[in-house]
Amino acid sequence: MTAQEVRLCGLLLHEHFGEVVEKVGTHLLRSGAQNLRTIIHETGLSVDLVKKSLMVLVQHGACLFSSGRKGPGSPTEYRSGCDRILRILRYPRYIYTAKTLYGDTGELVVEELLQRGHMTMSGTVKTVADRLTQNMEEGRSMDYSEVSSAFSKLVETHFLQRCPNPAAGATPAAPGTPAAPASAIPPTPESFPDCYKVPHMTLVGRGKRQLAAEDGEDQRNAKRQKMDSEAHGDEGIYWQVNFERFHLHFRDQAIISAVANKLDQTSSEIVRTMLRMSEVTTSPAATCTKPLSANEIFRSLPASYNIPRPILDQYLTLLVDDPMEFVGKAGESGGGMYVVNLHRALANLARATLESVVQERFGSRSARIFRLLLRKRHLEQKQVEDFAMIPAKEAKDMLYTLLSQNLVQLQEIPKTPDYAPSRTFYLYTVNQLPTARMLLQNCYKTVANLIERRLFESKESKRLLEKSQRIEAILASLQASGAEPEQLTEVEEMITAPEKQQLDALKLHINKLDSAENQVDETIFLLESYVNSTATSTG
Amino acid sequence: MAARGRSRRTLSFSVDSVGINRGESLPPTLQQPTPVFPVMEQKPLPLTGGEEAEYLLALKQDFRGAMRSLPCFIQPAAALRDVERYSDKYHSSEHTDGLMDWTPDWQRFPRELRIHARKPARDGVSVARSDAQSAQKKKKKKVREKEEVLIKLETLQKKEEQQSEEDDDDDNTEQKKKQEDDDADGDEEYDEEEFEEVILYVTCDGSNQSVWTGSGLTEGSVLQETDYIMSYFDNGEDFGGDSDDNMDEAIY
Repeated sequence: MTAQEVRLCGLLLHEHFGEVVEKVGTHLLRSGAQNLRTIIHETGLSVDLVKKSLMVLVQHGACLFSSGRKGPGSPTEYRSGCDRILRILRYPRYIYTAKTLYGDTGELVVEELLQRGHMTMSGTVKTVADRLTQNMEEGRSMDYSEVSSAFSKLVETHFLQRCPNPAAGATPAAPGTPAAPASAIPPTPESFPDCYKVPHMTLVGRGKRQLAAEDGEDQRNAKRQKMDSEAHGDEGIYWQVNFERFHLHFRDQAIISAVANKLDQTSSEIVRTMLRMSEVTTSPAATCTKPLSANEIFRSLPASYNIPRPILDQYLTLLVDDPMEFVGKAGESGGGMYVVNLHRALANLARATLESVVQERFGSRSARIFRLLLRKRHLEQKQVEDFAMIPAKEAKDMLYTLLSQNLVQLQEIPKTPDYAPSRTFYLYTVNQLPTARMLLQNCYKTVANLIERRLFESKESKRLLEKSQRIEAILASLQASGAEPEQLTEVEEMITAPEKQQLDALKLHINKLDSAENQVDETIFLLESYVNSTATSTG
Repeated sequence: MAARGRSRRTLSFSVDSVGINRGESLPPTLQQPTPVFPVMEQKPLPLTGGEEAEYLLALKQDFRGAMRSLPCFIQPAAALRDVERYSDKYHSSEHTDGLMDWTPDWQRFPRELRIHARKPARDGVSVARSDAQSAQKKKKKKVREKEEVLIKLETLQKKEEQQSEEDDDDDNTEQKKKQEDDDADGDEEYDEEEFEEVILYVTCDGSNQSVWTGSGLTEGSVLQETDYIMSYFDNGEDFGGDSDDNMDEAIY
């Protein structure tokens, strides 16, 4: 939990859940596991507010509770982690992916689940059907079964998963372990066998359109809806979005697009086929996919790509020989066994990110030195100048700049035990993993700065924004009640031209800052995946 | 950097191997922190535009806006200003309506997080309660028909008299719970507006006169149990704070 991460989490909580939840959340992040009384005492908020915030955090999976450290009798402790809260940055990407894979229905299902944290299947289906009906034309409505089928498809491909049952006060009784000590690790969703099983649900009907103008009837309908929360057969089964599965999907997409950029479209299609075939057989933490024979790949290529078999073999050979090492050869049977090297691909993508960061910040010659050091590991000052073919004075300057920014490290190799400077080798080196971590923290800081700047800009023009919102509301109500064009133009003229310009400039700035956040998040995803992949392979 | 070894100008590292030649000066020492916004020699790349980026942007902004209107967006009650004002009584409960819209499944949360505060039932919003209780109430309600409406009216009147006492407490005490148990059963399920159509059939005393107007009533007055719409209670402090840029017309 670094300071930058905590700051960014605080800002995200503030924007999405309000300042009360932000206070409680940041307090939990900074102080680790705490019980309710301590939280109330240290944050200074009222009991009700703290309870509500904790409920919101637990609902959204940002906070976990477990029985206290001293045994089952002690008060429950709440702890929170940065990772879950930082995912909020990636929500638009998840929703967009669901849209590309499962259409508008899938998009809305994922959006509802992200907004509410945990929901039952029946609740989600009803809300999504209503929302879809709202946007359809008059007289048509969305059937629940369509939404249910989209939901089931999402569950089948593991994009949604059931929420684990919380340990009700005591540890969940694993059969055969009487009086087990309080387990520190809460059960992961995957440890339940029914994790991806869709419950049998009786839910028949169509989406209801919300009628705006008819108050009396609407009230009666609203009352009837409240009354009819009859059991649909899936009480107590809550669903949440499975972020890990989305991350695997993003990782695959990153590899495919990297291959497409480096080689060509056909090679990327081959890699895409290989990844698709190994979706279900590869575990999330695997270093590489299961070996696939060239025959299988040939059979599974999409029909539109009818390349002859020898050409496929040539492509595969090219992919294996490429220095990026995306695809490796694992054997000769079946026409050649090929694997996709996932961890190595991630490492290479992270390396490319680091190189491009250096290039954009310090220029292409510094980038050349950086790449050189990455490839040759340890070099002396003189060797750097020679290999990079850069005059000595400039090379020295660039090296020192990189050194002061901590992108390059100095390694001392003594000839004598007393480390005398005249008798020590000083070698420049680049360590990829620590540098990636450092850049990741920089990215968090960047996003936090972007959010703060956006809040600052909106605060500066708060009055103007409120005025424009009021005028829009007036316009909308006038149009709904059918006013003449003169009235509309009169209301529109209440905003003067310079104000309109100011508003446009403000909107442009805010959009830019928001879009920048999204794009920094892509870099964050790459670097995070790389750091996590090294952790699992070495740890 | 200038070490005082043997009163000779030697540096702590070897000059040759690091590459500084004789006669070159070292860069000037830093005497203060680096500037907060240093000048950038290389300008950053422009953002990638395109349809996908714009759609992601729209999704992000919509999501933010939607979260603000959900019950999980908790805002503390606005801080009291310097002097208590009469309108505070009617303004203060406006903000807290959304909080109890969401009925969580209490089995998934630790017991200590349960909030048993029940707001006065005039909000017409159901409070978190166990499933058994609500099922029971629904059964009761199906049985009771229009005969209960009369009893409800009487309780409404009783409640109105209790309003002024209750307004100061946020948390209900046990006595109120018992009293309200009967009222709350039916009230919780009905919206405020429901009473209007029923009341039209039955005479009532002067305190409910405003209800005669039926659909002409605005939400604000019914929710707050007053005869005036909520903007009646604006105490004029917001006047004149709006845009004064357009000075063409003088403000009298």
